[in-house]
Amino acid sequence: MTSGIRAALKIARKDIVSQIRKKFEIFSMLLFALIAGLVFSFALPTALVEDLGGEAAIGAALIWVIVFFTGMFGFSPIFLAESESGTLRGLSVAPIPAWSVYIGKVIYGFVLMVLVEIFIIPIIQVLFGFTMFNEEPLLTVVTLLIGTLDLAAVGSMASALTMPSESKATIFPLVYFPTATSGLILLTEITRVLATGTTIVIAVGLTIPILFIALLAHLVAMITLSAVVFNFALSP
Amino acid sequence: MKPLSSHSVEASSLTRRYGYRVALKKVNITFPMEGIHGLFGANGAGKTTFLRIIATLLRPHGGTVKVMGYDPIEESIKVSEQIGLVGDKNLLYNELTGYENLEFYAGLYGMKKSQLDKNSNELAEIFDIKNWLHEPVKILSTGLRKRVDIIRALLHEPKLLLLDEPFSGLDRDTTDVFKQYLEEKRNSRAVVLTTHNLQMGTELCDSYVTLRRGEVLSSGAASEFDGIL
Repeated sequence: MTSGIRAALKIARKDIVSQIRKKFEIFSMLLFALIAGLVFSFALPTALVEDLGGEAAIGAALIWVIVFFTGMFGFSPIFLAESESGTLRGLSVAPIPAWSVYIGKVIYGFVLMVLVEIFIIPIIQVLFGFTMFNEEPLLTVVTLLIGTLDLAAVGSMASALTMPSESKATIFPLVYFPTATSGLILLTEITRVLATGTTIVIAVGLTIPILFIALLAHLVAMITLSAVVFNFALSP
Repeated sequence: MKPLSSHSVEASSLTRRYGYRVALKKVNITFPMEGIHGLFGANGAGKTTFLRIIATLLRPHGGTVKVMGYDPIEESIKVSEQIGLVGDKNLLYNELTGYENLEFYAGLYGMKKSQLDKNSNELAEIFDIKNWLHEPVKILSTGLRKRVDIIRALLHEPKLLLLDEPFSGLDRDTTDVFKQYLEEKRNSRAVVLTTHNLQMGTELCDSYVTLRRGEVLSSGAASEFDGIL
């Protein structure tokens, strides 16, 4: 028997290698992110952007909107592909804890979305003329990573829960949207405060820690709950 | 380590439903620690459901089951360590090569690289697939995939082999090789197999159980099988 964490890393590695060889899924995600960024930059005139709080405030929110919807392409097939090909049975009969399969998929979804963010964040910053990494670049990076992990945790569980359904494509957003929204609101708010930078001293002192704790609590709750109930998805 | 039970599989009043349809109805089946044991029955008799329950893939809705002395729900990891499953679908990842698939599964079973290489080389030699093992699975034919999948199931030297229609998709030569392999190992491990090929089943198996509509119809020594399903 191998340890749960080691098994999770092996599952994530296997999925990343498979994804790199398939190429088309990650390519369609990057294409969607690029087109969404371009459309938003043309759709929002400068005057409107100023009225809505400036480039940084709009750009920071748009990044999470794009990442959230791009996640649908990435997270939805996480378990669906394994379920349809039958390989999920191979993971189910392996001597590893059920939660390690879930954690492996979360790691894979996280890596996938980080790749999307590395691609889209510089583009959004150029299109909207702002930088997210002002006085607190490290905190911004940590927020991005925790936020992405949170979305990957929710997306992976939504994919697992919708596996037995006959209308997976319809059911997935119904599970993913409501569970991810609370984390998304927190992320957008933290990222907006960090990107605008003007109220950074007050924000870092007051707002950010509270929002950050709430975000971490959301992440821990999602991962713990999902890992605990996941064995019912593997052995119905 | 001393085995916890003298039986590889002990099912008592085992029941499983799919919605309102009863797939297994209070089934009592026992298989010893060695030998080859056949599960016969027409389509929908409950053979695959029974195999899936002992393979930890399905939860029973009633009764009890022990696999190698362990409960497949409460002690699924201990059961999984001791079983190898060849199902109706292969459990291989198409984007990976045959060897990468074996390496991945060996990792999940906690096997060392030296043990993986030794066992995979031996099995690849037996099943005559050495030349294909480093090709992506997606380019392999159905029969070649089945051979890699059989090696995957045998790689960690399971004490109990669960085979659901193991010979479908295999050519005559590979079927003979696999049968010979099972016969050679019949004294060191238990094999439970389902097959529609009753002639092959009775030739290969030591004992049999026939299921009909989720209930045990008959059981006994395979040589005494009357052919009634």
